[in-house]
Amino acid sequence: MGYPHAPHARETVVLSKYFGDREATTLDGWRKRGGYVALEKALGMTPAEIVGIVKDSGLRGRGGAGFPTGLKWSFMKPGDGKPHYLCCNADESEPGTFKDREIMRWTPHSLIEGCAIGSYAIGAETCYIYIRGEFTEPLERMEAAVREARAAGVIGPNAMGTGKRVDVWVHKGAGAYICGEETALMNSLEGRRGNPRIKPPFPAVAGVFGQPTTINNVETLVAVPHILNNGADWYKKMARPDNPKSTGTKLWSVCGNVARPGNYEVEMGFPFKDFLYDLCGGPPPGRKFKAVIPGGSSVPIMNMEEADAALMDYEGMVAKGSMLGSAGCIVIDDAQCMVKQIARLARFYAHESCAQCTQCREGTAWATKIMERIEAGGGTLADLDTLLEIGDNMTGKTICVLSDSCAVPIASGIQKWRDEFEAHIKGKRCPFRAAAAA
Amino acid sequence: MADVKTINLTIEDRPVAVPEGTSLLEAARTVGVLIPHYCYHPGLPVAGVCRMCLVDVEKAPKLAPACATSVAEGQIVHVHSEKAREARKGVLEMLLINHPLDCPICDQAGECELQDYTFQEGRKDSRYKEPKRFNPVEDFGGDVVYVPNRCILCTRCVRFMDDVAQEPVLNVSERGDRAYIGKFEGKDLTHPWAGNVVELCPVGALLSKDFLNKARAWELDRTASICPNCTQGCNAIVETRDNTVVRMRPRANSEVNDYFLCDVGRLDYRWMNGPNRLELPQARQNGLLADADWDIALGAAAAAIRGKRALVLASPMLSNEALHLLTRLIRVTGGSGAFRVARGPEAPLPGVKDLSLRSERAANVTGAEKLGFKKTDTPLAGLQGTDVLVIVDHTLTDAEIEAANRASAVVVIGTTLVAGLSNVAAVLPITNFAEEEGTFTNLRGRVQRFLQAKAAPGLARPSWFVLADLLGALGDAANYFLPADVFAALAASHAEFAGLTYDRIGLRGLPVVGAAQPAGVAQ
Amino acid sequence: MAISKEMGGTHAESHAAHGSAAHGHGEPHEPVFVGDRRKQLDELLTRYPTRMAVLLPALWMVQEDRGWVSEAGMAEVAEVLSLTPAYVKGVVTFYTMYHQHPVGKHFIQVCTTSPCNVCGAEDVVNAFLKHTKCGELGVTSEDGRFTVIEVECLGACGFATPVMINSDFIESVTPEKVPDLLSKLT
Repeated sequence: MGYPHAPHARETVVLSKYFGDREATTLDGWRKRGGYVALEKALGMTPAEIVGIVKDSGLRGRGGAGFPTGLKWSFMKPGDGKPHYLCCNADESEPGTFKDREIMRWTPHSLIEGCAIGSYAIGAETCYIYIRGEFTEPLERMEAAVREARAAGVIGPNAMGTGKRVDVWVHKGAGAYICGEETALMNSLEGRRGNPRIKPPFPAVAGVFGQPTTINNVETLVAVPHILNNGADWYKKMARPDNPKSTGTKLWSVCGNVARPGNYEVEMGFPFKDFLYDLCGGPPPGRKFKAVIPGGSSVPIMNMEEADAALMDYEGMVAKGSMLGSAGCIVIDDAQCMVKQIARLARFYAHESCAQCTQCREGTAWATKIMERIEAGGGTLADLDTLLEIGDNMTGKTICVLSDSCAVPIASGIQKWRDEFEAHIKGKRCPFRAAAAA
Repeated sequence: MADVKTINLTIEDRPVAVPEGTSLLEAARTVGVLIPHYCYHPGLPVAGVCRMCLVDVEKAPKLAPACATSVAEGQIVHVHSEKAREARKGVLEMLLINHPLDCPICDQAGECELQDYTFQEGRKDSRYKEPKRFNPVEDFGGDVVYVPNRCILCTRCVRFMDDVAQEPVLNVSERGDRAYIGKFEGKDLTHPWAGNVVELCPVGALLSKDFLNKARAWELDRTASICPNCTQGCNAIVETRDNTVVRMRPRANSEVNDYFLCDVGRLDYRWMNGPNRLELPQARQNGLLADADWDIALGAAAAAIRGKRALVLASPMLSNEALHLLTRLIRVTGGSGAFRVARGPEAPLPGVKDLSLRSERAANVTGAEKLGFKKTDTPLAGLQGTDVLVIVDHTLTDAEIEAANRASAVVVIGTTLVAGLSNVAAVLPITNFAEEEGTFTNLRGRVQRFLQAKAAPGLARPSWFVLADLLGALGDAANYFLPADVFAALAASHAEFAGLTYDRIGLRGLPVVGAAQPAGVAQ
Repeated sequence: MAISKEMGGTHAESHAAHGSAAHGHGEPHEPVFVGDRRKQLDELLTRYPTRMAVLLPALWMVQEDRGWVSEAGMAEVAEVLSLTPAYVKGVVTFYTMYHQHPVGKHFIQVCTTSPCNVCGAEDVVNAFLKHTKCGELGVTSEDGRFTVIEVECLGACGFATPVMINSDFIESVTPEKVPDLLSKLT
C-alpha cells in the first residue's frame, strides 16, 4: 500500500498486504494470515525442487542488482561438506528506499519464513539477518519474532519438527551504507571494517567465514513463501506480456516532492506516468515535477520526458536511460535546485566511501568539493569538464560500484540540467536560493 | 609442483607461460613487463586497493586489477593501451590531489614510487583547486614516524603487521578521504620487525627516525651484503654516503629472509663506522709498542708466534676466508681456536618460515664451528703461560684480559684496540666486514657472499690479506690476492664446502653439502 | 591523534567539536562484560564460528552501558574477544554510530540526504539547533542535554524528515513539531 495510506485500487497487494496491521507482527497473527504454510511445505521438499520453482518464477534480487534469485541459489554446491550460510541483507541504506523497514516492522515473520526456506534451499543451517543499526523498530520486531519462532520450534535445531536445523539470527549494523554491498556485509558480519571484497572468490564459493554463502535482500526473501504457495506460474503472470524477464510485484518507495509518499506495490511493467500522478497523487500543490530518480540515488536521474514514457520493470527503466535498482523513487519538483541536490548526493557518497580504492576515496570527496563550490557560486565552466572526467575515472575501476554511483547523478545533472549548472556559474550564486530569498 | 597446469597467454605482445593461479602482475614480471603498482607486494597478502595495476584484457568488459586476477588460457593483455594508461593517470591524479608538494623535504625523494610513476605517466599539472587535507605528523614509536598527509593508504604497513609480524598494531582508521593509518594509544610500533613498514611504504609516509634527513637517496652508494648481527644471515644492502654507512636495508632472498630485515639489523650499523678504529700497524720494539709499518709489524707478530702454540681467539664475525687462514695458523703452531658469542633474545617473524632474529648475535658462528673453532663461554680456559694468544677481532672480558696477560705474548689482529693488555707483541689493523669481501655461513649452513661497501680506515687491510701475509712470515706461504682464491682453498680442504665457488654462490648463496634446509624452502 | 578536516556534518564533526572537554579520560573504566552482560556475550558467541564476529554486538553493549565507546572500552572488548586494541579501534572508527567521545544526553540525528533535503530537512536541523540552544552542529549544549548532528539517509524517506534521538526513531518531523518534541525530553 502507499502506506500509511490505504492501498490504491491499482496496486497489487502481496508483500504489503498487512502493512499497518499490528497483529500480523506476532506468530499467531501471522499464522492466522496463512503464514508458515509455505515453510512447512518447503521442509518436505528437496532443496533442488525449491530452487527449481524459484528459478521458474523469474524472481530477481530486489536489493538493486536484479540478479535471478534461483540462479544465485543454484551456485551453492550441495553435499560439499562445508557449512553454508544465508545472509539476509536488511541494511537498506540506498537513499530513497524504505521498503525493507516496512516489511520487517509489519510482517517480521514473513522474513523469518523467507529466510528459513531460503536457508533450507541452499543447504544452510544458519541465516544471519543483517539489519542496519538505525532501524530501531525493525530490530526490535525482528528480534521478538525470532524469539517467538524459536520458542515455538518453527525455527531452531528442529525446525517444525522435521529434525532439520534452521537457525535465524538478527545481527545489528552500526552505521555504514557500504555494508549493503554483499561482500562488505560479509566482512561486517565477521567483525571487520565493512570493506567490499574483490571477486573472485564469489560468495557462493568462499563467503562469510570463508564458507559458501548466499546474500539476498529482504524483499526477495519474503516473496519466496508466496511463490511456493501460489506457484511459479502465478508469479510469472505478473509481468508485461512482451517482457517475461521481469516478473512478480515490486515495492516502490516513493518520496520527495510528491503528494502521497509511501510504499506502493505494483506488478512489473506498470506505467510510470500513471504511477506518479494517479497512485502517488502527483506533485505538491502549485508545483510541477522536474526530475525523478526511480531506483535509489545510484541510478541515472530521469527528466520527466523520460519518466512519463517509462514502464516500471528492469528492462523498461533501462530503455528510458535509468535503472529499476532498489525502486527507491525520489521525486524532485521545480522548486528544487538540481545542483544542490546533486551536491548533497555527492556528499553522501563521499561520507560513505570505505576508503579502499583510490578513485573512490579521493574522487568522491573531490567531486563533492567541486559541486559545493559550484553551488555556492564559485564554479567555472571548466569545472563541469573536470567533473565529467573525474566521474569517468571513478567508473568501472574500483572494487565496488559506490564510486560509479557517485559519478552517476553528476553525469545526469550536467547532461540534462546543464542550464542550472551554468546559471550557478554565470550568476555566481544559486538562482533558487536567490528566488526563495526574494 | 608436478600437477599444476601451465597457462599460456600474451602480455604486451610477449608470449607468457606460467603456472595456473599466477597473477597477471607476476606473469608479466616473468617476461620483463613491469605493471605499475603500489599496494601489491610479493611478501604480503593481496589487497587490490590502489587500483594502479589495472590492465586491459581483450574481450573483458572492465579493466582488471593485475595483482588480483589470475591468468587464463589465451588471454591477451595490454598494459600500455590507451585505456590502461588513462586509468593509471587517473589514479595518479587522485593520489596527488591531497598529497603535499613535499619532495624537497621528503626523505623518500629519489626512491619514491609516486614520483617515479608520476614522472613517467602522470599529469604535468594539477587541476585541484580545493583546500588540501591536513593531518599532523605522528610518532608511531620504535623507529617509525608517520606523515599522514603523504599516505596513499596502500595498507602495506597494516598488512605487514597483521599477517607477517602477526601483531596487529596498525589499522586503517575512519572512512573515505578522512582515512589514515592509526594505532592504539600506548601500543607502539615496537615489534622487533616493525621497521620493515618503512621499507614497504612506497612513499614518504612512513619514515625511519634514524635515517630522518640524513642523506638523499641519490647520494647513496649501495652494496649487496649480509647482515652481520646474528646467525640468520639476512641478505642486506649496505648504503653509504661519503664512505660512512648510513642505512641498512633488506635484500630479497626467498630462502633466507624473504623481503625483510629486523630492526637490530636495520639500526645496529654504527659500529661499522668506527670509532676507535685501529688504523696503523704496531710492533713492540725496545720494549715499547709503537706504530710501525706493515713489514715490521708482521715480522714482530711472526716472531712472537714462532715456536709456540697459538691459541686463536677468533671473532665469530670473521669471514670464512679469514677463519680458514686462521685454521692454517693453528695447524702450523699445533694450537687451537675458540670463540665466545654474545647472546640476545630471539625474535621470530612468524609470517615467514624459519626467519628470526637469532639469539647468537654474530654472523659466522656456524662458519667458525665448521672450521673447527670451539664455541664456549670460557674460550681462554686452555691458555697456558707458554702459549701465544692471537686475538682476532674478539672482545675480552676483564677476567679474560687477566688471563691474556699471563700468556707469553699476545698478537692483536683487529678493528679496535683492546685495552688493558700488557704483553702485546704486535697489532695488525684489519677491515670490518663492510670494508672487505668474503662469505659467512648462516645457521642453516648457507654460505653467502658479502661485498665491500666502503674503504678501510688508515692502513687497515682485509683480514684474509693480513692473515695470508702472516702465514707467509711464518714460512707457510699463502699467496692469495683475491678472496675468491682463499675461498677456493677453503672449499678444497673442507669436504662440506666442496664444489662451492664465488660464481656459483653468486648473490643468493648456497648451502654446504648435507645442510638440512628447513621444510618448504626450495633448494 | 590525527584530526582531519572533516567533510560532512556528521560523525567526526562532533568529534572535533568536543576538543578537550568532557572526554571522561580521567575516570577509571568499569568493566562492561561482567554478570548479565558477560552471559549475553557468551550466548552470542555460540551463534558464530569466530569470536571476532561478536565485535559489533559487543561494541553496542559497551555503548549502551557507558553511553559511548572509550579507548578503555575498546581495550576491554579487545581483551574479551582476543583481538588487539588497534584492530578494535580500526573497526570502531569505521562505523558512524559508535560515539568515540561522550555526547549530550539526547543525541539528535537529523537526516538531510536528498530525499529528505527536498522536503525541508535543513529547516528541521535549524529548528533543532535553535530550540536546543546548541547553536552549532556537533557541539553539546551547555547543560549537556543535547547534541545535534546531520546524518545520512535513515531509510525512512517517505516519512520525511526522520529524526533519531539516541535510538528512538521519530518519523515525519517538521520544524513546527520540534519544540513539542524537545519539551518531552528530560
